[in-house]
Amino acid sequence: MKSVLTTTVASADLAGRFPSASDLESVQGSLQRAAARMEAAEKLASNYDAVAQEAVNAIYSKFPSGSGRAIDAGTQKEKCKRDIVHYLRLINYCLVVGGTGPIDEWGISGAREVYKALGIDTSTYVTGLTFLRNRGCADRDLSAQALLEYNGYLDYLINSMS
Amino acid sequence: MLDAFSRAVVSADASTSTLSSDKIAELKGFITEGNKRLDAVNAVASNASCCVSDAITGMICENQGLIQAGGNCYPNRRMAACLRDGEIILRYVTYALLAGDASVLEDRCLNGLKETYTALGVPATSTVRAVQIMKAVCVAHITNTNTEERAGAKYRKNDTPQGDCSALAAECAGYFDRVISALS
Repeated sequence: MKSVLTTTVASADLAGRFPSASDLESVQGSLQRAAARMEAAEKLASNYDAVAQEAVNAIYSKFPSGSGRAIDAGTQKEKCKRDIVHYLRLINYCLVVGGTGPIDEWGISGAREVYKALGIDTSTYVTGLTFLRNRGCADRDLSAQALLEYNGYLDYLINSMS
Repeated sequence: MLDAFSRAVVSADASTSTLSSDKIAELKGFITEGNKRLDAVNAVASNASCCVSDAITGMICENQGLIQAGGNCYPNRRMAACLRDGEIILRYVTYALLAGDASVLEDRCLNGLKETYTALGVPATSTVRAVQIMKAVCVAHITNTNTEERAGAKYRKNDTPQGDCSALAAECAGYFDRVISALS
């Protein structure tokens, strides 16, 4: 799974060499940023439900009837929130790992095909995620560096859908 | 391949939950001890050649049959293959120590190794002995307890800030033990 540690080890292994000074330096870089990542991960873990609800509200204020198959509005809204919660959990994992591995493997891979088959417009998710992207406020919600890490993964996800 | 962080994520994912605060605290410990880990990896990687050649030599000095006709280190070709294998094993142990997780060692090195050695007729007991010597050497380098009387002319001092590296030495020893149990 992609992270600074695994990327470093994989490239050393490809060349068949022991970890060298530059490998250790790049790991050191990831450790330096880790405090901010962990702060964001903890914050997100403690209130992801409220965060997801805000995203769902933003989606349904822009697309009042949602998108996808014709199922009753309550179920549709519920499943929409479940999906946002799923993405937030994966962002929590990415913040812990310090790489996009979890979201690549468990979120993005195959998403396009699934949404196409189920007739769900990705712009609904983009709307919700963009709302979250612009919702965070440094110092009020979390420190500036932690917010940057959090927003970075939201941007990554938004880019994958648009 | 996983590292200490993605290992925690994989187990959290199994129960569709975010990471527990205990787990986060444990990973924060990994981060604060990070510099020690890099020193430990450096201590092993910087002495890799000496570690491997000493382990293979030690294995042979304890069992001279290996370099007699019919022994598995007998012509230069076999000796070279043996030294190469020692280096590969040490390299994957170093990767595991850097990542803080054994998956790279298990997936890319140990998976199928025993079957390969059985097919080639490489003796398991001798291989295990070589790995044990490498384990002792690496632990001594990580804890900075290598001594001049043991290392002789090859003695090399590691100058690092003083602190407790016993957890890392135990972790490294654990990876060598995995090699030993995979081979025997």
